[in-house]
Amino acid sequence: MKHRRKRELPLHLMILPSMILLLCFSYLPMGGIIIAFQKFIPAKGLFGKQKWIGFDNFIYLFQLPNFVSVLWNTLFIAIMKIILGLLIPIVVAILINEVKNSALKRSIQTAIYLPHFLSWVVLGGIFIDILAPGDGLINQIIKAFGGQPIFFLGDNKWFPLTLIVTESWKSFGYGTIVYLAAITGIDLSLYEAAQVDGANRWNQIWHITLPGMRMVIVLLMVLSLGNVLNAGFDQVFNLYSPPVYASGDIIDTFVYRIGMLEAQFGVATAVGLFKSVISLTLISVSYWFAYKFADYQLF
Amino acid sequence: MEKRIIPTGLSAILIGGLLLTACSSQTGVSSSTVSSTGETGSVVETGNSAGAEDADPFGKYEPSVKMTFARTVDNDLNDNILPKTPGETIDKNRWLDLYSKDLGIDISYAWSVRGGLNDDAYTQKLNVTIASGDLPDVLIVNRTQLKQLAESDMIVDMTDYYDQYASKLTKEVYNSEGPGILESATFDGRLMAVPYADASVESTQYLWLRKDWLDKLNLEPPKTMQDLRKIASAFITLDPDGNGKNDTYAMAITKNLYNGAMGVEGFFAGYHSYPNMWVKKDDGTLAWGSVLPETKDALRALSEMYQAGEIDPEFGIKDGAKMAELVAAGKLGIDFGEQWNPMYPLISNYQNDPTADWVGYPIVSADDKLPKVPQKFRTQWYYAVRKDYANPEAVVKLINLHLEKNWGENNEFDHYYMPAENEGAGVWKFSPVTPAPTNKNLEAFNEIQKARKLGDMSILKGEPAIIQKNLEAFYAGDTTQWGWEKIYGPDGVFNALNGYIENGQVMREEFVGAPTPTMVDKQSSLRTMELEMFVRIIMGDVPVDEFDKFVDNWNALGGAQMTKEVNEWYQSVKK
Amino acid sequence: MKRNKKIKWFPVINTAILLTLALICIIPLIHVAAVSFSSSAAASAGSVSLWPKEFTTNSYAFVAKRPAFWRSMKVSIIRIILGGGLSILLTITAAYPLSQPKESFRFRTVYAWFFFITMIFNAGMIPWYMVIRQFGLLDSIWALILPGAVPVFSVILLLNFFREVPKELAEAAFIDGAGHWRTLLTIYVPLSKPALATLLLFSLVANWNNWFDGLILMNNPDNYPLQTYIQTIAVQRSFSMMTREEIQQMAAISDRTLRSAQIFLGSLPIVVVYPFLQKYFVKGIVLGGVKG
Repeated sequence: MKHRRKRELPLHLMILPSMILLLCFSYLPMGGIIIAFQKFIPAKGLFGKQKWIGFDNFIYLFQLPNFVSVLWNTLFIAIMKIILGLLIPIVVAILINEVKNSALKRSIQTAIYLPHFLSWVVLGGIFIDILAPGDGLINQIIKAFGGQPIFFLGDNKWFPLTLIVTESWKSFGYGTIVYLAAITGIDLSLYEAAQVDGANRWNQIWHITLPGMRMVIVLLMVLSLGNVLNAGFDQVFNLYSPPVYASGDIIDTFVYRIGMLEAQFGVATAVGLFKSVISLTLISVSYWFAYKFADYQLF
Repeated sequence: MEKRIIPTGLSAILIGGLLLTACSSQTGVSSSTVSSTGETGSVVETGNSAGAEDADPFGKYEPSVKMTFARTVDNDLNDNILPKTPGETIDKNRWLDLYSKDLGIDISYAWSVRGGLNDDAYTQKLNVTIASGDLPDVLIVNRTQLKQLAESDMIVDMTDYYDQYASKLTKEVYNSEGPGILESATFDGRLMAVPYADASVESTQYLWLRKDWLDKLNLEPPKTMQDLRKIASAFITLDPDGNGKNDTYAMAITKNLYNGAMGVEGFFAGYHSYPNMWVKKDDGTLAWGSVLPETKDALRALSEMYQAGEIDPEFGIKDGAKMAELVAAGKLGIDFGEQWNPMYPLISNYQNDPTADWVGYPIVSADDKLPKVPQKFRTQWYYAVRKDYANPEAVVKLINLHLEKNWGENNEFDHYYMPAENEGAGVWKFSPVTPAPTNKNLEAFNEIQKARKLGDMSILKGEPAIIQKNLEAFYAGDTTQWGWEKIYGPDGVFNALNGYIENGQVMREEFVGAPTPTMVDKQSSLRTMELEMFVRIIMGDVPVDEFDKFVDNWNALGGAQMTKEVNEWYQSVKK
Repeated sequence: MKRNKKIKWFPVINTAILLTLALICIIPLIHVAAVSFSSSAAASAGSVSLWPKEFTTNSYAFVAKRPAFWRSMKVSIIRIILGGGLSILLTITAAYPLSQPKESFRFRTVYAWFFFITMIFNAGMIPWYMVIRQFGLLDSIWALILPGAVPVFSVILLLNFFREVPKELAEAAFIDGAGHWRTLLTIYVPLSKPALATLLLFSLVANWNNWFDGLILMNNPDNYPLQTYIQTIAVQRSFSMMTREEIQQMAAISDRTLRSAQIFLGSLPIVVVYPFLQKYFVKGIVLGGVKG
């Protein structure tokens, strides 16, 4: 026993600094979740005599007229992003894998990774310019083909779609990496054998490459379930405006407005808690699935 | 065994390092807290004794007292004023020196944020500061925050300090709009903070028109709304910019609708609709202007104009800066806004096209009744003093001195406000407190007019003299001073304001109290709903009759309750 | 014969599709660069697309004279150096114990949950702010670094990578008398270079792009990191309640080319760095338990 403890000691020590930091900056603040059950007046402070109101903040929240639409927007935007975020990178990864010239392959990869590295603060500024209905780049193109200009960022019909497309644009290139990793793991002799059998490119992709990626695809699909309430604060925050609240306001931006700007911290924390609980449930389910069907263990 | 000692040591160092950081920073905090409380402690006696002896509005503290503030640093300060005032910084400048030298008040800043008081950044930072209980000695807060602070007993009751220490000029300024300014900071009869007096007259709306387009199309300045609608129609159909292309709109409005420039309030007033403020109805009760039936008429008119192409179809997503680009490009000819509009954005039009001649006219009415000119209550910010601060009266003294140095008998306007030697940069912004006389701009105009009549400009002093200098610079060819001519020139927009006052058109906002409970909870979501609905109605996204549904919703979602509370407040002050 | 023809066409179409995609990905940044090098008049008329009109470097000359921009740039650079270094160090030291099998590290499951829970629950801004203030970190660079110094997601990725390291290597090292530290440093770290490069880049990007914490945690705009600075200049403004005094300088400030120049410079460092780490990406990402 003693020997064992001694042997484990360095492991404890290694992990200790991280534990301390998480304790300080993640667990200590978690005590503040109590705010969700208070009529929190900021001026009285976190430890002041706040009034306990049980679940009133939650009830207030669910009764807010726009809460249902906020929830719906969040689900719709997030789920669409998840679907495109799975499909596009799979296709592009397969296409990239078929490029034989390695310099070309690298250049293409460099280009499609680019958007991932730009922040939404920067991209927000860029897209507001590019998507402007009058003189924006995209609408100039639409007009050149004789179309009517579209208010991508101002029209409730288009705004969610714009969010979904721009997010896919930002992340598809980087998303290919996981699939490329899976493809490189495929045994090359399988392709050789197929070629001997006279299989063409399509057949090879269909019968070797895709099945080889199957596990990763299933896994990412399952794991993304945990994200159905994450519609992307940074993106929406930097692109939306009051006319499109109806279709673009998501839980996170909603919390931001009632919390940071209106100082209704009790309600804001309640929304956050609501979201955490739902996410925890979804993540648990998804990991159970991942374990069951892909024999995947996170840790 | 030996081999393992070193690596274990390594992680010990790592941990040690971390703990050390944590420790040292914590001691840093506690020591600074100790020292600051120590300082305030020593100040208590001296400060109080100085105050108790005689309530001198300009009395100097010996030894000096310390005072911490939080402030905003806007783009003007950062990119314009600081570069023009070499040697001065936010933390060390002529104003802070003055306060230290004349009053014995040493000011420092607990924190500052980039942007203005109205920007989200300040609101956020202030809210977290308040919630964390770590207040600077003086905070600039809005009415909601003031109410919260007052209710949780975190700030000083300023009633007596104000009564005793406010100078004559200060009291004059604070009473210039009737009791409203002080009333807005009063809870249960106690003044809980000193307002940052802001001039309601500044929110007066005018009708800015491209006079050169009118002349070109042989049109007269409008006398009625019908005239204006005809002008709008002419501006889009008759090619006023003469480039042979059908590429102009008529009227500038933005997605925020209620704006000091490119807004709709002046237009709505023409239909006797006064949205976005509390107005008195004929029966003597107060109501939210946006939900009164007249608003529907105004919205219908705007949606007709939108349909006709007289409004930029993209206004619903354009903020002021975006719409200003269209103004600059010479695509717009009608702008409802406040007196400063020629300073921005209209001047950008003139700079691209010197023939662009914007002139300010009085707003017009859709029927034979003169329109009321709404003046929204502008005082929104308050200097609140932290409960345990030893010298609450010091903030009143700062205000006294600020007003005195700029607009008092022996002012040094040319050193402390917009000194010529610093290229007219607004150095007054260096001061943490910045109240100004509410009628100063109109008075300056009237003085200049008087001097023009007498033909003797040398009688001008202080701000009017500086304005006159700008006018002369414009006449001498300095085109950057164009805006001054449009406001203060012989045909300046303040003529319209004098007309408003003579005709009794001015209509002040009636509700100036602290936000009612329902307002705190509901107002901003109601505002969002209102804005969204109005923009959609104007854009034809929903029919105008949706307005009635909006009113029902508005009432059901807290508006009715809010109106009730506002009227209770109104009854309580009328007594 | 027929099949041969198909095979010849495929790479051409494929390359064309990919090149189009690549183009779509870089166009926005090119557009910003083009605007930043154009004259103000051309930019505000909206006539600039992918090539500067009336080429000028005016806006860059203007930015060069803005001390606030460069101060923020400096803060961001210090932040990514310290933040990136610290988080990679912590990722390694946390991932290694967690990658141990249960038999040789009994507490690993407890620790793992301790890490995992932080990914799901947080109490929001106020408690978070108060804790950071209590530690006396406000307004210091550490406020930007320490709270996010343990990238839990990266730890999970790396621990899965560590598990892929052949057990025999570690066992051989232990037989040689090496402890955990030496095994980690001489065997695991060198074998995980691609993963570490990838995770380092994650952390650099996160540190570079984060703007919200700067806004809340800094007490002086001089200490804003660059993205926070950019947010304050790109922010939309309404003109309600503005006075003439406030408005006078608006015209010069809302200049589009100037904004574009700062946005472009603000994204440049990351854009320059990542291609050098790119070759590690594919090798670096392994989701635990799944083999291709």
